[in-house]
Amino acid sequence: MQHKAKLSSLFVCCALGMSTQVLAKDTVFVGHLADMSGPTAFVGKNYADGVRDSLAYINANGGIKGTTLEYETIDYAYKVPQAIASYKKWHSRKKMVAMQGWGTADTEALISFVAKDKVPVFSASYSGHLTDPTGKNPHTKKPAPYNFFYGASYSDACRGLVQWAAQDWKDKGEKGKPKFTHIGANHPFPNAPKQACAEYATELGFDVQPAVVVSMKPGDFKAQCLSLKSSGSNYGYIGNLGGSVLSLVKSCNTVGTDIQFMSNIWGGDKKIFSAAGEGIKDYVFPTMTPFWTDDVPGMKLVREISKQSDESGKEVRVHHYIRGVCSTFFMKEAMEWAKDNGGITGENIKKGMYARKNWVPKGLEGACLAANWTNEDHRGINQVNIYKGNYNGGDIAVEKVSQVTLKRRDDWLGY
Amino acid sequence: MSSLTMRPCGDFRTSYKQDNTIFETRTIRNFAIIAIALLCAAPYLVDAYYLTLFIQISYLGIAALGLNILVGYTGQISLGHGAFFGFGAFASAWMNVSFGIPVVFCIPLAGFLTMGVGMVFGLPASRIKGLYLAIATLAAQFILEDFFARADWFSGGSAGSSADPISLFGFAFDTDESFFYVALFALVFMYIWGCNLMRSREGRAFIAVRDHYLSAEIMGIKLNKYRLLSFGVSSFYAGIGGALYAHYLGYVSAEGFTLFMSIQFLAMIIIGGLGSVKGTLMGVVFMVFLPEVLESGVGLMKMTEWGNIPMVVDGLAYIKEMAIGLVIILFLIFEPEGMAHRWAQIKNYWKFYPFSY
Repeated sequence: MQHKAKLSSLFVCCALGMSTQVLAKDTVFVGHLADMSGPTAFVGKNYADGVRDSLAYINANGGIKGTTLEYETIDYAYKVPQAIASYKKWHSRKKMVAMQGWGTADTEALISFVAKDKVPVFSASYSGHLTDPTGKNPHTKKPAPYNFFYGASYSDACRGLVQWAAQDWKDKGEKGKPKFTHIGANHPFPNAPKQACAEYATELGFDVQPAVVVSMKPGDFKAQCLSLKSSGSNYGYIGNLGGSVLSLVKSCNTVGTDIQFMSNIWGGDKKIFSAAGEGIKDYVFPTMTPFWTDDVPGMKLVREISKQSDESGKEVRVHHYIRGVCSTFFMKEAMEWAKDNGGITGENIKKGMYARKNWVPKGLEGACLAANWTNEDHRGINQVNIYKGNYNGGDIAVEKVSQVTLKRRDDWLGY
Repeated sequence: MSSLTMRPCGDFRTSYKQDNTIFETRTIRNFAIIAIALLCAAPYLVDAYYLTLFIQISYLGIAALGLNILVGYTGQISLGHGAFFGFGAFASAWMNVSFGIPVVFCIPLAGFLTMGVGMVFGLPASRIKGLYLAIATLAAQFILEDFFARADWFSGGSAGSSADPISLFGFAFDTDESFFYVALFALVFMYIWGCNLMRSREGRAFIAVRDHYLSAEIMGIKLNKYRLLSFGVSSFYAGIGGALYAHYLGYVSAEGFTLFMSIQFLAMIIIGGLGSVKGTLMGVVFMVFLPEVLESGVGLMKMTEWGNIPMVVDGLAYIKEMAIGLVIILFLIFEPEGMAHRWAQIKNYWKFYPFSY
């Protein structure tokens, strides 16, 4: 009897697994991969909320010119096999036209598939090598024609920070060559801008120190801070995110390093400041959007979108959320273009991405930066806003210190 | 006796030939052949989602069998299997891109290259055992992981490396439907090879080393040789699995081959059954399908009116992650000998029905 019960429960499981949804009329499917329980959940959840709320908002307000978006959010916990399986399921069963992706792992695993299947992917992985769609730059290992992202690439953001650092060094009236160090785990995400950024730093007259390896998992990083101290680094680029950044800042305070930290876009937000407390001083980080409390016209729509999951409108969102909104709305407008120009297919959405110059989604003026994608250059954004933050006794103070617009140099394409 | 389709109660094997068969009875063999024939028709019957799951089962299954040969049959331990899997993936892509060797040859070559690397890291096995060996192989995991992230010439460093699809006489196996046949062929080939290995002199030596190394040595089995050979065979399988993975995805990134992957391979063979070829495949199927079945459970919840609010959906995502752990624990408590053992019990139950003992 025991076996029979087990067998029957197994069959029920299988039946549940195989059941498929029935498609309603005039809908297109958008897949959404998110990490809400994996190693990058620290920021993954905020970004995913932005995407999800936007998709819900678009549907609640007429869809894509009448076409409803059918979407599914899958928390793949940063596991590649699950990302691939979800992608295949969406592609073969739901005829997915576009996908909102998440991290380095899933985005890179899917590059070949999405290029072959012609499904545009809007990732939150900003690796520089995703920006060369045709393989024009000999540096590019693999062209990524169907990959898009909203924001400056990791390399470009780091270049912007280095440019700011060079100016900062001059403004302070310091003499000699400033020393620059890359700090991060030995993994594709922190390493993505390492070489590109070091080359630019050398070009600007920095003395580039050997990179310091700091684990992605929080821990005691005093040894690494001591080596930063002994090398006398003046500027340090942090490639990690979340708890690891907190540990680093705290460890270095204990050791007493005199270094100006500059973080990547995922390593600087309100949560970091409130968790680090008094220890965090003059912490520099880039953003691609304003902050929640900023008073710009576009934020009105962002706050409306936020009400999709927070009806009271009281929740304060970090800037990753707004980037999720921008990513989704660029996709939305490309889909609208596609609908007017031959129907919403992956190929047409890709063309829609190239249709406009200095493009800001309607209603998000000031919230999203003006973007330019072309069929040879997927560096949508080449502007980096640089902020400096202090804990300030709990009343976190963030001020804009610079705005860098990077040249679209050919040798930086896809790199 | 041989004309009977079912094996009678008890062991009545009277010749070496009977003792040595891969399939216990003719019926089982026929079933296996029919199953493979049916699988050949699968691309025409099911969609890409099931095909991709099967392809996953194939490359993970090949690597897991390698680990089972090492752990289940030879009684050694390895915590670096995920890294060897990754090494195979990078090696195959590297040979294809750098030397222009056709992919069909790159895959076995990657297997042999991984075999070499695995044997180097297996060297400590000739001196140390048990937990000490586990930690020594852990070093392989960390060294190789770091190597992938740094060795630009080999793995492309942080940018990863691209891998061309397998092509044969101008036909590229670049869709799920066509790659499915490559995966099926590789799976069947490697599993038959694994079965045959275990029936050979080397296989018996592995088992002897596992069961009692002192007795084995007294009987004239060179412990060092067979321990090292087992590491080699195990890494060879991992390398083949990894190479298939690389050419299926078309892109290899250093991020995937973590310690977690090594542990997952161990979980597969423990759940499936240590020292069982059949069990390995069962464990892999279980581990690949479990998250998918739970995911579709979450999907069903989302279809209901009350279930499709972010709070519930996010909560379910956490429950899903926990459920995977829970199922594994339950398995270890109620079926410590693995699914292969449970399968044998189910078979016996029906064979003797209603007079089971």
